[in-house]
Amino acid sequence: MTTAQPEFMSASVVSRFPILLFVAWRNIWRNPVRSSLTISALASGLIMVILYASLLEGMTRQMVHFATDISTSHMQVHRQAFIDDQDLYATLPWSYLEKIQQAHPSIQVSPRLYAAGLASSSTTSTGVLIKAVDPKTEPDVTQMLQHVRHGKLNLDIADTTENGVQRYNLVIGAQLARNMKVKPGDELVLVTQAADGSIGNALYRIAAVLKPLEPNFDRMGVLMSIEAYQQLMYLQDGFHELAIKVAEMKELASIQDTVANKLKQFAQEKSLDELGGKAVVRNWRQLSPAVADLLEMSKAFVFIIGFIIISLASLGMLNTMLMAVHERTHEFGILLAIGMKRRWLLLMVLLESFFLALVSAVVGSLLGLVINDYFEKYGIDFSSAMPDGYDWAGMIFEPVMKGYLLPADVFTASIMMIMITMLASLIPSWRTVRLKPAEVMR
Amino acid sequence: MLRKRNTIKQLQPLNRQNYIATAVLLFLYIISLPLAATEQGRQPVTKVTELIQHIDKLWRGNTSRANMTMTVKTRRYQRTMTMEAWSRGSEYSLVVIRQPIKDKGIATLKVKDNIWNYLPKINRVTKVPSSMMSGSWMGSHFTNDDLVKESTFEEDFSSRISFEGLRDGKKIYEITSIPKPDAAVVWGKVVMVIEQENLLPRYAVYYDEEGSLIRTMTFDQPRQLDARTVPMRLTLQPEDKPEESTVVIYNDIEFEVPLKDSFFSLQNLQRRR
Repeated sequence: MTTAQPEFMSASVVSRFPILLFVAWRNIWRNPVRSSLTISALASGLIMVILYASLLEGMTRQMVHFATDISTSHMQVHRQAFIDDQDLYATLPWSYLEKIQQAHPSIQVSPRLYAAGLASSSTTSTGVLIKAVDPKTEPDVTQMLQHVRHGKLNLDIADTTENGVQRYNLVIGAQLARNMKVKPGDELVLVTQAADGSIGNALYRIAAVLKPLEPNFDRMGVLMSIEAYQQLMYLQDGFHELAIKVAEMKELASIQDTVANKLKQFAQEKSLDELGGKAVVRNWRQLSPAVADLLEMSKAFVFIIGFIIISLASLGMLNTMLMAVHERTHEFGILLAIGMKRRWLLLMVLLESFFLALVSAVVGSLLGLVINDYFEKYGIDFSSAMPDGYDWAGMIFEPVMKGYLLPADVFTASIMMIMITMLASLIPSWRTVRLKPAEVMR
Repeated sequence: MLRKRNTIKQLQPLNRQNYIATAVLLFLYIISLPLAATEQGRQPVTKVTELIQHIDKLWRGNTSRANMTMTVKTRRYQRTMTMEAWSRGSEYSLVVIRQPIKDKGIATLKVKDNIWNYLPKINRVTKVPSSMMSGSWMGSHFTNDDLVKESTFEEDFSSRISFEGLRDGKKIYEITSIPKPDAAVVWGKVVMVIEQENLLPRYAVYYDEEGSLIRTMTFDQPRQLDARTVPMRLTLQPEDKPEESTVVIYNDIEFEVPLKDSFFSLQNLQRRR
């Protein structure tokens, strides 16, 4: 109550409210079976919403994990021409690497290079996407190199053939290995057009096969060290992609701004060649908009599904309260006749609904937390049916679906339930207001 | 496809493969530009067929050996390669790169529909898979389709003489080739102009299925070789990149050189460095 209101009003409300609370609470338990049933219906609804939110959050976390930790990292810098059509010559100068790192001591950076080529084993040939990383700094930004299925990860020089050709180790995608029928230890020939227009060709030894990172790499990816790439492609001037990992996700936006400003500043100091376009920094949401959209959508999903489930459950509540009010019309008539104000009556009925909702919220949240605990620990396991996980919307998912519950979700769901049930209880309480004491007492 | 030749396509890495095969196939392709047999009744069939047969053998004869220089100009670099090429009919050919030093000895063998590359640096022979045949050829402005389809041009296109008479002060034949309904080809129309006097091809223009001009191939620097006049320079000009081009110059061509079938073999591919 604000001080602007007349004192007697606030005094009366304050003094009568505890009595109303007490009466409302007692009224609920006049019919314990009916109230318990209502509470269990509402609580089950809430449990379902909580579990749904938890599983969806678990999935989106997995999605974000794949989108960031496995191959993309949090941000990437490219030249515009590389973004547009993978222009081999649209490189960022090597000096940027150190300068960007220095701009922000808390971030981790790692350079990458790309090219297309033809890979041949002793029996088959196929087109591949060549990706080069720095094995020293790559683990700072992603877990790509830990994602090994067969073999042992190694990107160094493997050996020298009888006529003095050095063979580098490389690793390849799982699907590509299957299609080419190659395994760790086998030889691979890569042929491509080098940056100077000559025919780049070299021998490699397959050191390992990677687990699925992303569908494209899985199908046609070949990963090597930057050193090996430069010997194949004669592309020394720079790199195509800079992966940046921030220490705290919440700093993402501010660091992105700083990096963008730095890039502008570098370009002013020493302009880049025109054909490659300007340097652009994008965060993972911009890099994989499909994932970002899905994340947004999943939030909306939880809300819509939750709304439907709780609305259905609150119909039970509506029924309970209608019954309760109906039973007590005579009683209400008497109360009105002896001078009870109609608004107090209304408030009392609303309080009864509120108590029902509150008890349901507490019971539902507690049970929900307990069941969710199981989902977080064990999840739903599809690995017998899909050992490789599944890919959906260009993302690869693990075969075990695990929950992840945000405390905020429990809170939001509970608040939503209380609000919906209170809305539903407006109908029965409105009825009490319109009672005519003379009629109902007859 | 042509538009993207200077870029690495993640989804179509095939595009940039095989420079070498480009060279051979380019050579083969040029030899049999739009020379299609025709079933059309309203033109004298023999005349179109004659023209086609003439141009089919213009650079090739029954067997041939040629030295040529190919210059590829892109926004990023200009690169000249010299090559030696042998052919026997339209089915067998072998091309060996002589210059520059970096690519010296790289050889490509084509036998019917199969293409192999020999890479001397790593001493390996790799076969070009059929999936690599459809995409644009790296380095030059030719597309794979040109190169592979050269042997099926007659099957895929129906040609007719669409104009006969004086143009730019010279008497010419204009041959228009339209793909047959069930042919899997990229071009919607190919038009070639040949001089009547000495049956010298002047230029060929390529349209896509929507009818817009994609590229122009120009033939010039004619030279009298044996009984025929052969254009020694071919220039391919993509329409959307005026600053880029691929130029092939024949330094010399010898016809009817004795070449056995065994010359076009994998063993020979490795031997000839």
